[in-house]
Amino acid sequence: MLVDFELIIRAREGDGAAFNQLVLAYRKRILGTIGRLIGHPEDVEDVGQEVFLRLYFSLDQLRSAEVFEPWLYRLTANAAYDYLRKRRRRMESRMADLSEQQVTVADALASTKVDHDEGQRKAIRETVDSLLDGVSEEDRVLLMLKEVEGLSLRELGKIYHVNENALKVRLFRARQRVLKSFRASRKAVAGLKGSS
Amino acid sequence: MNQQDHLMGDEEERLDALFQAYRQAYPDAEAGANFMPQLWQKIEARERTSTIFARLARNLVTAALALSSILGLAVTVSHSRASALPSETYVEVLEEDHARQNLDYFEPVRVEPIADHR
Repeated sequence: MLVDFELIIRAREGDGAAFNQLVLAYRKRILGTIGRLIGHPEDVEDVGQEVFLRLYFSLDQLRSAEVFEPWLYRLTANAAYDYLRKRRRRMESRMADLSEQQVTVADALASTKVDHDEGQRKAIRETVDSLLDGVSEEDRVLLMLKEVEGLSLRELGKIYHVNENALKVRLFRARQRVLKSFRASRKAVAGLKGSS
Repeated sequence: MNQQDHLMGDEEERLDALFQAYRQAYPDAEAGANFMPQLWQKIEARERTSTIFARLARNLVTAALALSSILGLAVTVSHSRASALPSETYVEVLEEDHARQNLDYFEPVRVEPIADHR
């Protein structure tokens, strides 16, 4: 935990300075998570402000220190999910939506662990975004929290208030769907390369 | 079959690597200078909105209470006035009137003893 529970209590009692400290302590981490969850850097601050806004108005419901972080993650996941749902109008991604360049970048990643330049980073973001467009917003957020944020099933269980086994099944299905798209796009690109 | 398993495992690894690269492509970033002022503006705006709604709700409750008091008073007054008026319904009045008319027909006929005219 990045802050003392006393600070949270003070913030809950309406101490603006304490709330500021609370935000400052978690801001960087939460904004990073939001960026990875939604995949749109230009909207990260807006969604982040929404998270802390919800935090401000629901602090009085917090009963103990140990639930604070899972709870903050829950607010983050919900805000990201709401944002993604609003943006949903985009076309559902299909395997062929991945460009040849994206697949090449994805392939290259498996063998190299170097610092990527901005062009590569952009290609990686687009690749993962395209792959994740094939799953629902809920599954996207869940998969991201597990695969990218590295949260354990136990932590996810605390965030979502659901059984770990149910989460495991859901994560497995979502991952299989992403994997299927990934595999199909690689095959499609391999076919294109073979025919040219 | 083994080769297929190997290929699938290979793809699983590639996907994991892709997720890790995605993590690196989106490092935790510091917020802009306006983050906190904008956050407080949003908090204050929401507080204002909820205050307006609370005030509106309070006013509506007061208005509803006043209206129900007025209606209650009106009902009481009309009841007390109504007690001065006949309590029978129109049908009851008609029925009573009709019964009175019928009495004229069914009144026993007075029979005068026939006098001897002779």
